[in-house]
Amino acid sequence: MTEPTVTLDRFFEHVRDGELTAIRCAACGALAIPPKQLCPECGARQWEPVPLSGDGTIASYTVIRVAPRGHADEAPYAIAAVRLREGVSVLGRVVDIPLDTLAIGVPVRFRPIVVKDRSAIGFGPA
Amino acid sequence: MRRVAVIGVGVTKFGRHERTSAELFAEAAADALADAEMPASRVQALYYGNVVGGETEKQLHTGPQAASVLGIPTVPTTRFETACASSHAAFRHAVMEVASGASDVVLVGGAERVLNVPTADSTEYFAYASDASWEQTLGLTFPGVFALVARAHMHKYGTTEEQMAAVAVKNHKHGVLNPKAQFRKEITLETVLSSPKVADPLKLYDCCPFTDGGAALVLASEDVARRARRPIWVLGSAAASDWMLIGDKRDLSRVPATERAAAAAYRQAGIGPQDVDVVELHDCFTIAEIVATEGLGLFEPGAGGLAAEKGWTSLGGKIPVNPSGGLKAKGHPIGATGAAQICEVVTQLRGEAGPRQVEGARRGLTHTLGGNTATVLVSLFGRD
Repeated sequence: MTEPTVTLDRFFEHVRDGELTAIRCAACGALAIPPKQLCPECGARQWEPVPLSGDGTIASYTVIRVAPRGHADEAPYAIAAVRLREGVSVLGRVVDIPLDTLAIGVPVRFRPIVVKDRSAIGFGPA
Repeated sequence: MRRVAVIGVGVTKFGRHERTSAELFAEAAADALADAEMPASRVQALYYGNVVGGETEKQLHTGPQAASVLGIPTVPTTRFETACASSHAAFRHAVMEVASGASDVVLVGGAERVLNVPTADSTEYFAYASDASWEQTLGLTFPGVFALVARAHMHKYGTTEEQMAAVAVKNHKHGVLNPKAQFRKEITLETVLSSPKVADPLKLYDCCPFTDGGAALVLASEDVARRARRPIWVLGSAAASDWMLIGDKRDLSRVPATERAAAAAYRQAGIGPQDVDVVELHDCFTIAEIVATEGLGLFEPGAGGLAAEKGWTSLGGKIPVNPSGGLKAKGHPIGATGAAQICEVVTQLRGEAGPRQVEGARRGLTHTLGGNTATVLVSLFGRD
């Protein structure tokens, strides 16, 4: 069996180190967010890790005011879906951007954050 | 494949109950069997939906538990979990069991108990249906998922918070007419717009409640159904899935799984959206109803907000949506919701819905969405 190019644990270790890592299909060139075994575009099983710039724009966002039990002490906090420059999208916690200035299309930049001792994706001002 | 009909339905009162989910299901199922005039000994299988039993009731293996409490302990039972679409997924598989000839009489249902735990806990348990590593870590909630959908829809189509509020006002108005509904009180646009924010732009009254309840129905093959008093035929039942991660969804203003499931169900039934007279759809949040009316082809993409605002989806409108009060007012006991929607459409097509009856309804549609829009079931029904 082929070991996945980028496991989930490895991805979030990279996040902790300040890097977003996508995977590119060696057969068709499709870019995807790991972990994946098969290319959803062509079905191939051959991936190469690709570092992402971390630059993107807000595709949608919300401010969570009623939080789950585990995050109640953090509310309110904003979560954004960010379309990265390379064309893939990820969710992240918005940091250091005033909540009332959030809007679709606002440029943001990835930064590593830790939420409840876990490595997570943050987005701050570009 | 054989034709399949729903020949009996049963739904508990929705709201707060001091009973287990198994007890709630059993009440609904006994009512459904009585409605079908079918002895329990004829039931050959149970397809069951239950979602957070492991968390709120510390209970797994809820299928046989539900069957035991009903009193049919030896019937083969399978629990389905597709988040909020669980009992609709159970229904689709049960239809296939009867259509294939494997069984002639099958019981379908679901139940949920969540009001026995605090809201912060139920909010967390419901969030388990989003991705643990990518989304739960960020503190994403279900209102948060649909808030992302709402913002994208507002940005792309100009949909307004007032239009979303119109969905809540309409469904509460319908809920007044449903004795089983959790909320039977009319509200105004102002009630919705001034309610506390939950996940911007969604406010408390844009969200369906947490609910305890159960629902069940009896499915039968054509031969059996012909001897029933008022069979309602299953014209189509389809499922579709989509990317699990919100980030992997290309256009948050749409729910592609709804579009795919609807296309497949219409194809099976040989009808289109223009042929549907009554719809029960998944309004877990007001924006979800707007996006669903578009995805089901009832209105053009972007016109769902206007349809709600103009009353086109109200009882007496062009295409009545959620005459039961929907998840918003009737309530949303997640494991029971898909079955409860089917029970409502069957009741409508029988002409037995009383003050909320859609006059002359001949064909109906149910739509149930699971979790972060990654599961959707659509089924179509018709009377003789």
